[in-house]
Formats: sequence, C-alpha cells, structure tokens
Amino acid sequence: MRRVFLAITGLAASTTALVVFKGSPAATQVAQNLPTAQPVNPTPQEVEPSADPNAPGTDPADGEPTPSKSADSPVSPKPGKTTARPSTTKTTKAPSAPRTTKAPQPTTRRVTGNGFDNEYGYVQVQIVVSGNRIVEAVALSLPSGGESDIHSGDVRDRYDGSGGEVVQKQNANLNTVSGATETSNSYKQSLRSAIEQAI
Amino acid sequence: MRATLTRPGLCRVEQIMGTAITVDLADDLPPATLRELADEVFAWMHEVDARFSTYQPASEVCRFDRGEVLLSEASADLRYVLETCADLWGATDGFFDAYATGRLDPSGFVKGWAAQVASDRLVAAGAVNHCVNAGGDVRVRGRSPSGEPWRIGIRHPWDAMAACLVLTGTDLAVATSGVYERGRHVLDPRRGAPAGGLRSVTVVGTDLGVADAYATAALAMGTPGLGWLARLDDHTHAAITDNARQYHSVDLPLTG
Repeated sequence: MRRVFLAITGLAASTTALVVFKGSPAATQVAQNLPTAQPVNPTPQEVEPSADPNAPGTDPADGEPTPSKSADSPVSPKPGKTTARPSTTKTTKAPSAPRTTKAPQPTTRRVTGNGFDNEYGYVQVQIVVSGNRIVEAVALSLPSGGESDIHSGDVRDRYDGSGGEVVQKQNANLNTVSGATETSNSYKQSLRSAIEQAI
Repeated sequence: MRATLTRPGLCRVEQIMGTAITVDLADDLPPATLRELADEVFAWMHEVDARFSTYQPASEVCRFDRGEVLLSEASADLRYVLETCADLWGATDGFFDAYATGRLDPSGFVKGWAAQVASDRLVAAGAVNHCVNAGGDVRVRGRSPSGEPWRIGIRHPWDAMAACLVLTGTDLAVATSGVYERGRHVLDPRRGAPAGGLRSVTVVGTDLGVADAYATAALAMGTPGLGWLARLDDHTHAAITDNARQYHSVDLPLTG
C-alpha cells in the first residue's frame, strides 16, 4: 500500500514538475528525487546483511517491485531463504530460534548459572528445567566479536580452487569434527552451577 | 547404533589446554593395552599444556618470554617449537607470528603439533587406526571402528551442530581456524588488528602442526588468504568467507 501511494505521489510530483519546470533538467531531477528520499522501511533490513539496498522501494515510477537480484550476490548465513523474494521483508527475515518464554509449562523453571570470565570473555548459561529434566540449555552470554560485520568482496576472479557457493549443511555420519577451538571450560562451569542451583 | 555398541577399540575425552581432547583408538587390541595407550596420549597432552600454556605464568613458555629461561637452557620441545615457528613465519609471509600479540604465544602451532606427536607415537606403538582430535584439530590414521576410512566433518561456521563439508581419508591432518568460537582472536600481525574477510579456514595435509599454523596464517590474511592457500604445495584447503561463501581446493578429499 505504501508503495502504491508513493508511486502515485511520485508520479504526480514528477508530472507536475515536468509541466511547471519543463526544459529545466536540474528542476526535473529534484522533482524525481523527491519520493526516493521518503520511503522508510517499516522493518529493519539489517536482518539480512546482504539485502540489495537498491532493490525495493527506490523507484517510484516502477509500480512493480523488481525481484531481488541477490541470487548472485552475497547471501545471508541462512541459505535458501532470500533468493528472488520481492520486497516483503517479513518473509525474508531469518527464522529465529524457537523460544519457550511465551508459554512456559506450569512446572517449567529457568535457572541461571553464575557467570564466568575466561581469557576470551564472559560466559553465562541458563537451563530450563521441566519437572526433573533439563529441557534446554541456553548461553546467555558468550564472548562477543565472533559475529562478522565485514563483507569481503568477490574473490572468484583471483582464485583457482572451486566453490563460491553459499555454505551448506551436510547430513552425514561423522567420526569427528574439525573446528575452531571452543571455550569449553567456562561453558561447563556455568552449566554446572546452573544444575547445582536447580537441584 | 549397533556398530557403536560392538565397536572395537576405545574412545576417551579429556579437558586439557582449555579445550576437549578426544582420542579414538580403533584397533582391536586388549582393553588394558588400549587404556595404556590412551593414558600415554593424555599424559603427553598434559605435559605439553604445562610447558606451553600461555595462561600459566609458571609454564616454560612464559618463563622464556620473561627472560627467565635462556634458549640454551630451554627444553628440546621448546627449542623445536621456537625453531619451527620461525620457519613457519617465513613460510607464511610473516602471517603466522608467534609474537603477533606482543608476547610469545606459539599456541597456533602447539596444539596441532602436540596431537601430531601423539598420533605418531600411537603408530609407533602399533595402534595404526586412530583419530586424535585436539580442540578441533584432527589427525586420523588408518580406518575408523567401522572399518571404513575416517569421516571428518568441518564445522559449519554459523551452526555448531552442523558440518558444512565432510572429508574422508586414512592419513589426514585437518586443522581449522575460525573466528566463530573465540571472536576475532587472530591478529593480522602487520596491522596489529583483528583479521577480517574469512570466517573459517581449514587446511588439510599430513603434519597437523603445520596445517594448524597455515590455517591460522590464512585467517590472519583475510580474503587474500584464499589466493595464498591456492598456491600451497602438498596441502588442500577449504575456506568460508564472512558473507557465507565456501571455497575449497579442487582436490580436497571430500566424501561422495
């Protein structure tokens, strides 16, 4: 609805400007730029770091929103959710982890462990206890800085390996896993203190 | 599940060096022999931790860094590690730098090297089918308890419970360096600032210490590290960029 309104406003504004300032290129440009300054996305787009900022809502004369061109551009860590969805930002939002806070069972309680500092930062764990069972363990705080805000450019042209595809999840039987070193001790300590409190 | 219940060998996990160390022995040896082999591995890991921990002021590496131990007085292990770190500094254009933080910290080599030595000792003792995983740095040899080649997942950088690639082999050293667990702890030694561009780098070779150092160096290089990895002889690699793109050598030992 907002888009249609803006499109009509934009069309009216530019038509008026054309009639009034006919032949003046500077004036025309100003009039056409007017609507583009206005649209403010109701939903924050930062959820999708890769969303093409030019795709939705910037061209008032074009009534149809152009499909996102992000198929070939950097895509968010959650694969397969962003391609070719027109600008309805609600559907492109990354699915968030299920939460149990809204409707807790009568017998469910949350117990927060003590926080522990280690050399990388602060770690704190919360467990959810339903009856006698731990049904969930949540890290309330983990060392920060791991989340990336840096976007590297396309490197395909100077690389002779294969790839460049979006990182996928594999389903397979594994004997072991190679990964970055974990901060196991702080997590264990905090988890243990949460369990001790829950007993 | 049936296979895991009747599997031969022994699998044991201990927390050393601030992380989990797993030894999976797949040889069908007497239980007492298996326990003894595992004991020896973990005793070695404790020894390395005591000598090389940068968090224990009394460790040899800290005392050496403070000038309390001269190079001539240092243990053979410390001298070997310092020498190899100097070689790796040259081999990585200075990007693997045991002094990147301003003080001596050879951890980027030591963990992988310790697991490599443990694996070499297991082979020498006749346990030729095993997997040693030191906090995500993996050395596999021979076959897994099922009799198949080992299958090694590379952790998905955005999902701790998932793998993004699966490698398989009978003689592999697989080291992964990433920014997802401890933040941007790897510094670009030339700028003194955290490296950017790559979220995870895995290097596959036959020496886990070298693979570990190469993975750390490529992570420190950031995106240009991809080109550097591609020119490495005798090593294959996989890297995932901050924008969730995955790159790997064409001859990476992938399953399937």
